[in-house]
Amino acid sequence: MTQTTPEAALAAALRKRRIVVVCGAGGVGKTTTAAALALQAALGGRRVLVCTIDPSRRLSTSLGLTHLSEKPRSLDLSRLGPAEGGSLSAMVLDTKRTFDTLVERHAGTEEARDRILKNRFYKQVSAALAGSHEYMAMEKLLELSADERFDLIVLDTPPTRNALDFLEAPDRLMSFLDATILRYFLRPYFIAGRLTLKVATRTGAAALRLADRYLGLQFLQDLSEFFLAFEGMYDGFKERAGRVHALLREAGSGFVLVASPARLMLDEAMYFYERLREKRMPFIGFIVNRLHPDPAAAGRQRRGPAHDEADVEAGLAARLVDVYRDQQKVARAERRALARMEVDTSEPVVLVPEFEADIHDLRGLHQFGKAIL
Amino acid sequence: MSCSSRLRGPALGLWLSVLVCRRMALPLDDLLARRLVILSGKGGVGKSVVGAALALAAAERGKRALLVEIDSPLEAARYLGAAPVGSRETEIRPGLFAVNLDPAGIMDEYVRHVVKIEFLARRILESPIYHRFFTAAPGLRELMLLGKILILEEARDGWSRCPRYDVVIVDAPATGHGLSFLKVPLAAHAAAPVGPIGANARRILALLRDSRRTALVIVAVPEEMAVVEAAWFHQLAVEELGIKPRLLVLNAAHERRFTDAQEAEVLRLAAAGAEGRLARGVALSGAVDAARRHLRRRKLTRFYRTRLKRSLPLPLVSLPYLFDDPIGPESLRLLADRLEGR
Repeated sequence: MTQTTPEAALAAALRKRRIVVVCGAGGVGKTTTAAALALQAALGGRRVLVCTIDPSRRLSTSLGLTHLSEKPRSLDLSRLGPAEGGSLSAMVLDTKRTFDTLVERHAGTEEARDRILKNRFYKQVSAALAGSHEYMAMEKLLELSADERFDLIVLDTPPTRNALDFLEAPDRLMSFLDATILRYFLRPYFIAGRLTLKVATRTGAAALRLADRYLGLQFLQDLSEFFLAFEGMYDGFKERAGRVHALLREAGSGFVLVASPARLMLDEAMYFYERLREKRMPFIGFIVNRLHPDPAAAGRQRRGPAHDEADVEAGLAARLVDVYRDQQKVARAERRALARMEVDTSEPVVLVPEFEADIHDLRGLHQFGKAIL
Repeated sequence: MSCSSRLRGPALGLWLSVLVCRRMALPLDDLLARRLVILSGKGGVGKSVVGAALALAAAERGKRALLVEIDSPLEAARYLGAAPVGSRETEIRPGLFAVNLDPAGIMDEYVRHVVKIEFLARRILESPIYHRFFTAAPGLRELMLLGKILILEEARDGWSRCPRYDVVIVDAPATGHGLSFLKVPLAAHAAAPVGPIGANARRILALLRDSRRTALVIVAVPEEMAVVEAAWFHQLAVEELGIKPRLLVLNAAHERRFTDAQEAEVLRLAAAGAEGRLARGVALSGAVDAARRHLRRRKLTRFYRTRLKRSLPLPLVSLPYLFDDPIGPESLRLLADRLEGR
């Protein structure tokens, strides 16, 4: 077997896989990387959709668009000369809308649907529900994976402090919605419409008495109504969540982990990688963005070692040395951190040098994509 | 009043500054005149470093400052060379306290606070309902955390009734969903308009909106996405939360390192392909490349700084890019100096 480069491994994944999930902590250039990978695949002749959940317009910024919506919008690639058949579309997930659609689909009756959609608790929390962004991203992924218009879906995951949230939050949401025990206890509030202390005799009733004292009756009623309405839908939700997990484990799917070369960020990426392995998720590789050039290496390569004293005014020389040493310090720390990481993993690690110009249009994205691959 | 004895530091500083020179009012003065400072910004902009620098600057002015982090895997205390503090408020330097709040712990603490009887509290904490619901209930964690911050802001020492902290600096979690952390009390108030949750939410909201007590700081870095997001945060804060941010911090800014004449000389040396050795292991060609890289970064910094100044009606403080990894106390000192306008 021939040793393939990390870049080749990544390029192969972009040619073959159907779903590429791009993960990483916030601030590492994840959205830009997702967009650049999608663009490269499209230029290679695939029909690609890049999808982000991020409400803060990052993807539209990096694509040079002012606005993206829930409807996939096709981008004009003609100036970049894509291969035959290649196309790129982009969309942003609207968590609230996806949630509503889901309720509409799974609610057995019109009455049940309206009961949820009009529920005060639902209205306030459907978008803010812990894990709902992540759950909806997965939900949408399932829907899109069946869409004949696309060969490849690149999913940019929500920026979280903890990259693991993306995989774990949906489970937490499911567990919340499956608060069977809670529904059981809340039922009296709903049915009687007034406080009943009958519940006080049951296990855990103290928790509810506490809730009643500190949440208020109206809130409990809204809450119980919410759970009762969800009662019939839970199985549908759960079934789909199970299918998403299965879909992500297929060989046609794969995860890309984006990091920056600072030591702490690499440690975090490694931690996430271990968790992906535990969950037996197919892994494509790491992309480490913004690697700073080592001024010593650059100087040697081009002109060879210098021996003679340079003819530079002393004040300027001192400043030059300072700037040089500062940049060297950063570059060396990054390389040390990378070396440490490479000991721990045999997975492909693609290094992307720092881009000095900012990326906010297709052309910039194309340059960036070429630097990755 | 006994409370004033603690303020000897700043009072002395103030006198000195009045006597020695009439210095310009700094954005830091305005910030530290509040009791609660909340930092927000996109992930990766260095909020925790900025928070630590602010706390250091406050402590050096003789204030008692508390730096609050939330479930931070790597605490800011380490920038100051201190060991992780965990969820207990700990003095890591004279006048500088830090705490890393643990959301699950706060929930338990709240239950214990409300249910005074220990065995009853334990029964609740061990019940499946508590685990299923209270830990997963949307926004409840955030509400509890904000409630805890409110308590810290209001904390007074037993005997003197003096505020325990002069300023509480909060590194708000970068959830990526905009300002959702701060929006929780708004949602809680709407979801539970009556009852104690709603009342708590209203108290928190009142604190956040009180511009004499609270300052919201937006942190950005000189990059397209961070700058776009800063503007978006500002809009959200004003329109949805009814809070006017007070300060914009441009972190990781590349500062000027060369004079105009030196810059011209660098470009001339580059064009001439000048060679030779500057110092041990430093080739002129490599140093000139490094200098040109610096000039390009500096140009980007200036570009985004101008854009931020134009798009946001806020005072702006720039903090320098730090070259050390891991970041240490010396760098923090540099940031604190910049905050002081030095």
